Amino acid sequence: MAIDFQRNEGTLIIEAAERVDSTNAQRFLEDLDAAIEPTDQVVILDMEKLTYISSAGLRVVLQTAKTLQRQNSGFALCALSGTVREVFEISGFDQVIAIHPSQDEAIAALKG
Amino acid sequence: MIGRRRPPGRDGIMADTSGPYRILVVDDEPDLEPLVLQRMRRAIRSGRYQFVFAQNGVEALETLNQDDEIDMVLSDINMPQMDGLALLSHIPDVAPDIHAVIISAYGDMKNIRSAMNLGAFDFVTKPVDFEDLRITIERALTNLEAWREATASRERLVALENELDVANKMQQSILPTEFPGQPGFQIYGSMIPARVVGGDFFDVIYLDNGRIGLAVADVSDKGVPAALFMMASRTLLKSAAMGLKSPREVLTEVNDLLYDDNDAMMFVTLFYAVYDPTTGEMTYANGGHNAPLIAHVDGTSTVLPGTNGIALGVMPGMNYDERTISISTGDTVVFYTDGVTEAVNEDGEEFGMERLQQVFTGQPVRDAEASTQAVFDAVNQFAGNAAQFDDITCLIFRRSET
Repeated sequence: MAIDFQRNEGTLIIEAAERVDSTNAQRFLEDLDAAIEPTDQVVILDMEKLTYISSAGLRVVLQTAKTLQRQNSGFALCALSGTVREVFEISGFDQVIAIHPSQDEAIAALKG
Repeated sequence: MIGRRRPPGRDGIMADTSGPYRILVVDDEPDLEPLVLQRMRRAIRSGRYQFVFAQNGVEALETLNQDDEIDMVLSDINMPQMDGLALLSHIPDVAPDIHAVIISAYGDMKNIRSAMNLGAFDFVTKPVDFEDLRITIERALTNLEAWREATASRERLVALENELDVANKMQQSILPTEFPGQPGFQIYGSMIPARVVGGDFFDVIYLDNGRIGLAVADVSDKGVPAALFMMASRTLLKSAAMGLKSPREVLTEVNDLLYDDNDAMMFVTLFYAVYDPTTGEMTYANGGHNAPLIAHVDGTSTVLPGTNGIALGVMPGMNYDERTISISTGDTVVFYTDGVTEAVNEDGEEFGMERLQQVFTGQPVRDAEASTQAVFDAVNQFAGNAAQFDDITCLIFRRSET
């Protein structure tokens, strides 16, 4: 698991890569918490390079969504690969977290 | 750093590090006490050291027995009643987490070697050079801190393993182990727990009018909190199921109840089906779980048609769809968790749905237990020597001749 992020005019784009499973989910949560500032109005989690996410990883995404909801920030996922998208679909979390095909579309949807 | 002798790691917290270091000085010569107090007065006044004194080994052991805040023993070798070497040999029994420094006559290499072999950390020679003694004490205390820290880490690790062990036992305790045979259908289920991770469970609930509830579930995390969440899920499911409700109502209710006080955002994926032997129909609803497989008597198999529904515990007021299908005689319904389909082999490939279907494709009809075993065998064979990351659960329902 690795994350990388960049910030531009109140929009934080986080790119997650490799695998998130129960061995590193806690670190994933800590890394996301460290990256996100209360001043971020829009946070986009780009999962293009993420190859696998377990249920422990899903929980981290939900926790992050809840944190951002509390601070009234927009949140969306984008660019999910096939297996990762399937995990979101099976669990039904695609119904409660916005998912977009690309960063641009996620930004347009959240800022538009 | 200031330390105290405590069972390290108790309550998962580091040893208490407040207060001065307490040093027990053991010597039968009465002039050492005023000398120590005088020469170490600065360190005493600053609160770094505290000294207590004993006249011989016997007195020293009594003091160690009563005063569990002593960090270090500074002892002469030649003393009446019990000498320093005998004292050293007893220290591990009364105070295993302290260091000892020996004071010996200059050139008494034989006794110094014996003392070191008995576990003394270091030695100083007589006449005592107090600057050298101070440095020796500091070195011993630094080492003691590092040693206590390492011990605390190890104990924390043991505590963590114990916690996972408790969680595993809780998980095992809720799984049904007996599946009484009934005319018209057979049920069998089993779980292979992962070494540390895992939150699978399944249940068979006997409802009114001979109906039977079948559930398979996967909690999002591991450890005691997840195990408690699993217990709660299972209990809520059972009581909701008993209330004569349809699967969609059951999931709606369990979801709302689990959502209360769930700040940790734990969740459970849960597939719940009710089979009615009078009609041969199975009605089911799905809370974010893998859809079961239905294997027909002609060797073909299909995934049960999907129903809309999110994993339970995350969002209140969610709706769950429900479907009813007809189960033909000989049909086998295969409930499972993602530990089956996401089991990986040594090349990192996943077992997947197709391989699960192949377990049943063109196979002679097996009973429920043999079908469960066939799924486990196929997964094990596929995984080879690759580690098992998640629980592997399979619950089989088979409609048989009446």
